[in-house]
Amino acid sequence: MTNGARTLNGIAARLLGSEECEAVLGDLQEAGESVWRGVLEISGLIVRRQLQLWQHWQPWVAGFGLALPCSLALMGISVSVSRTSLGLLDPRTLIGSTSAVSRYAVLPFICQILMLLAGAWAGGFVVGSISRRTLWVSAVLCCLPCLFCLSRFRIESLSRFSLLLFVVPAIMGVRRALRSPQVGLRPAAISAVVLSLCMIFLWSNSGRIYMLDGALIWPAWYVVASARRIRPQSDELNTWE
Amino acid sequence: MLGEFEYLLITAAVSLGENAYGAAIREAIEATTKRKCSIGALYTTIDRLETKGLLQTWMGDATPQRGGRSKRMVRITPKGTRAAKDFYDAVMRVSRGASWATNRGEGAL
Repeated sequence: MTNGARTLNGIAARLLGSEECEAVLGDLQEAGESVWRGVLEISGLIVRRQLQLWQHWQPWVAGFGLALPCSLALMGISVSVSRTSLGLLDPRTLIGSTSAVSRYAVLPFICQILMLLAGAWAGGFVVGSISRRTLWVSAVLCCLPCLFCLSRFRIESLSRFSLLLFVVPAIMGVRRALRSPQVGLRPAAISAVVLSLCMIFLWSNSGRIYMLDGALIWPAWYVVASARRIRPQSDELNTWE
Repeated sequence: MLGEFEYLLITAAVSLGENAYGAAIREAIEATTKRKCSIGALYTTIDRLETKGLLQTWMGDATPQRGGRSKRMVRITPKGTRAAKDFYDAVMRVSRGASWATNRGEGAL
């Protein structure tokens, strides 16, 4: 095999586990397969591996139960936070107007920020921890509604990127899950309680219940439940690959 | 009950003995069946059989003709041997009376 062929096969095989990559590349070299035959064989194996993953519940929950609905809910909260912060920063909305003060009350604003941060982080963490090998599908399912909303964004006072305030904490959650899926019980419980209280407060404040926001609750409590199960010094990670 | 390809893989691995690993098993299956055996089919089947406890795998030595890469060695477990024997017995039983099976007795094969 040429250097180019090795590189090509190496990239394709990186999508497999390290041991499997080693064995498969060795087999291809031993069999003297051509570059494209090798890429085809590895691609076939990757496709089979991905299809096998979808026989379990975790990728479905991560993609369709979490990434898709949470991205919609978090975009809503992102816009709400952006509008409220704009209102708070604009003196005209505050000076001599008690109604404006109540409208842009600080407490709901803080609750929204906490919900945004905790909800996005917990969502990202759960997606990364329950189905890391189908992460790319979850990312696509998260991006689709984002692209749709970005293309139809019509609020002149705000940048369209205000929809995406949740992306950074969500990525941080995913990165944390990929690095180590262990979270201490206390911080997990505190963030879940805070998230739940904020949501209840906002619901009672607005007088309406937003069902989509409910999608943000369960990842936070899942983090609590999984944190409880993890024992220190254990080699068994609570992950599913 | 094993599938056809699972039986082929186990039989090839048993016949290769200590030298049973991915590339060798693939070559043996292709030589026997005269059909192409994809790496995807081979390794997903190996994983499935390992999950069922019908075979064991471990990473073996690296050789120069493999570019210094390790082999994934395969060993069939007693449970795997029993499953293969059950499959073989079932095929033999169901084949009784079939024209090709009768011909075999007459030395057609």
